[in-house]
Amino acid sequence: MTPPFQLRRRDLLFGASALALAAPPARPKIAAICTVYFKYSHSQHIVDRFLEGYGWNGTHHHPEMDLVSIYVDQIGKTDFSKDRAARFPQMKMYPSIAEALTTGGSKLAVDGVLLIGEHGDYPKTEKGQVKYPRYEFFNEITKVYTASNRVAPIFNDKHLSWNWAWAQEMYDTAQKMKIPFMSGSSLPVTWRTPSIEMPLNSKIEEAVCVGYGGVDSYDFHALETLQCMVERRKGGETGVKWLQAYRGDQFWQAMKEGLWSRDLMNAALCRSHTLKPARPGFNNIFPSDDDLKKLVRNPVAYHYQHTDGLKSTMILFSGLVEDFNFAARLTGQKKPFSTQMYLPMPPARTSLANFFSPLSNSAEKMFLSGKPTYPLERTLLTTGLTAAGVDSLFAGQKRLDTPHLARIQYQATKESTFWRT
Amino acid sequence: MPKRVAVITTLYKYLSHAQHMGDRFLVGYPHEGEWHKPDVQIVSLYTDQKPAGDPASGGDQSYVRAKEFGFTVYNTIAEALRCGTGKLAVDAVMIIGEHGDYPKNEKGQVLYPRYEFFKQCVEVFEKDGRAVPVYNDKHLSYSFEKAKWMVDQSKRLKFPMLAGSSLPVTWRLPDLELPLNCEIEDALMVGVGGSDPMDYHALEAMQCMIERRKGGETGIRRVQLIQGDAVWQSNRYSKQLLTAALSRSDSPQGKTLLDGRTQDLVGNNELPKLVKNPAAYFIEHNDGLKTTLLMLDGAVHDYCFAAKVKGMPGYPSTQFFLSPVPNVTYSACLVSKIEEMFVTGKAPYPVERTLIVSGALEACLTSKLQGGKVLETPELKVKYRAPKESQHART
Repeated sequence: MTPPFQLRRRDLLFGASALALAAPPARPKIAAICTVYFKYSHSQHIVDRFLEGYGWNGTHHHPEMDLVSIYVDQIGKTDFSKDRAARFPQMKMYPSIAEALTTGGSKLAVDGVLLIGEHGDYPKTEKGQVKYPRYEFFNEITKVYTASNRVAPIFNDKHLSWNWAWAQEMYDTAQKMKIPFMSGSSLPVTWRTPSIEMPLNSKIEEAVCVGYGGVDSYDFHALETLQCMVERRKGGETGVKWLQAYRGDQFWQAMKEGLWSRDLMNAALCRSHTLKPARPGFNNIFPSDDDLKKLVRNPVAYHYQHTDGLKSTMILFSGLVEDFNFAARLTGQKKPFSTQMYLPMPPARTSLANFFSPLSNSAEKMFLSGKPTYPLERTLLTTGLTAAGVDSLFAGQKRLDTPHLARIQYQATKESTFWRT
Repeated sequence: MPKRVAVITTLYKYLSHAQHMGDRFLVGYPHEGEWHKPDVQIVSLYTDQKPAGDPASGGDQSYVRAKEFGFTVYNTIAEALRCGTGKLAVDAVMIIGEHGDYPKNEKGQVLYPRYEFFKQCVEVFEKDGRAVPVYNDKHLSYSFEKAKWMVDQSKRLKFPMLAGSSLPVTWRLPDLELPLNCEIEDALMVGVGGSDPMDYHALEAMQCMIERRKGGETGIRRVQLIQGDAVWQSNRYSKQLLTAALSRSDSPQGKTLLDGRTQDLVGNNELPKLVKNPAAYFIEHNDGLKTTLLMLDGAVHDYCFAAKVKGMPGYPSTQFFLSPVPNVTYSACLVSKIEEMFVTGKAPYPVERTLIVSGALEACLTSKLQGGKVLETPELKVKYRAPKESQHART
């Protein structure tokens, strides 16, 4: 008889050392570790794509893998995980992360893990960050790996942890244990209008993203939008030396002083499909500075300098736009390089959040290849930038040195990984 | 000197075609990452109907725009073209015969007076001995005979003419363009909404893809429109192509609305439950190509295309992106093409595209009226070549 899964002291002592990663089987088994599973939660978007399939490359694509187990931390009245488990009997629900990973046995029984710690009722920090338990879930997963003497790839939705030290620890653990680990937002992988890629080894002088949403939530998406483009510059990513956040009056003052290039901000706005008309009776009109102040009650910017000197600015313009737009100045080019990372966002515009299709597909590729589809360092950096932005705002919009981010260096993938087919 | 333009429209109110297209010449529009200010000046306006009410929310905007931007509203089309003088006094004309209160015919077509507006412009051109470029919004006329006459006049008087929908020029998801001179084996379009406005858009979206085939457009020899359960029972169109087109949709209805799930609407047999009044428009071209438009109101909310192309793997497919209201940035894509013709004097793509679609639509609606009869269409011998360069938004 197989004993129930139990973590032994010896496993803990041996902790974070490199374990075996078997070659991925032809048809991997996947576990989903989720905070919640309600309509339009990230878990629903991602896990459903593994269960139901999704539109991809002109067909209804079914991933070549089986989602065999699921753990849901909070099952409320709006839950759909029980419905999914009933309709897809190959997927069993388990009351703990360890049991989901071992499918009730004694050893790791899956070949890949989806870690989706977004949405759900979790406390906030004093700085307003939601304490989603991604780090805690990750630790539960790696405990099973250690005890089973085997690892499997992990896809972590969104940033690593709200807590920088924990995010760094997740990264370090994955490195030490040689866990194929990827993470991030759907912004880097969704459609772009126009469908353009930053040429590899571009000389980028400055970059701006204009997005919308709140601090410690959509700021992360906007930072990922920036990072997936600027990481392709000559020399690759070199890390970030400092960051300063601006909001309210200090934002308007910084804009007036030209802290970030106005032409880049305007170029980004000209890629928007949701520019709120400042004047009644007009459907699409460019806002004056006075219009901006009327429409945007609480503007936010994170302005930061990379180690190689590049300055990037993330702007949240809630009230003016409802999309994420990127612009950069490239050496030798007269006009800014600009595009929109397009999100078909339900329920107002669509019924499906299909930007989760390229995100799920990227995870799927890792589960089949055993290799992350794009570097984890991107999201380690944006995790740190998100936390630094929150910290700067909390510290009264002070400029903060970020030595912990200055050492995050990596190269972008040669091949584009955004949705273009 | 900026080009002087007359706008001839049925209605100028918030979110009407005249407003969102006309305004772009007044306040500029987003284009290639810039707020583009056209070197074009609207100097005169004729508005056929002027609804009462607040101009900011549905009332006539003719006079408020004229006052703010310094042009004149005239009582007749001839006066607008002559700007109150005795001679043609504009460099281009934009006819927008969309929206407004007009009767319908027995085929369900709204009798927008595009032909009548155009005819009055041609009369001015003839009397004054000079003709200028004309853009006609959407299809040329509800009647192919009238549409043909319109295009014939542009040839006879040698003025550039552009027409059509914004679907051919909007963003595509993905940015698909079929290779010029490809061999198309089969093509299918999914559309939604009422007839005849929305089926027209869908037909023109399909036409801008298939016109790139080897030999170019050769005309249409027969059409048929069937409705109801016969659509599901038909084996005239490919289920793989339908799956491919629907795989590009962001808006499946039914169970997706219930719990957010993705759906294979062909595989799960949900289509007949979701679509109460399906219609299939079968079109057979003179070179043998057979295409299908499926109007699937209730299944999805977007416009998607799929084809089988010799030498290309799978089913090349895309969604014609209708960006959100109120910006409707797809109309900026169209206005940039109109501006191009006004400034260069050359239509960026052939008006024959819109002519053949106007004819195909009318013939399909005639077939519908006759209970789904197959109709021979010898009159639709419209031949033309697609432009070499792609014309849709991609930069």
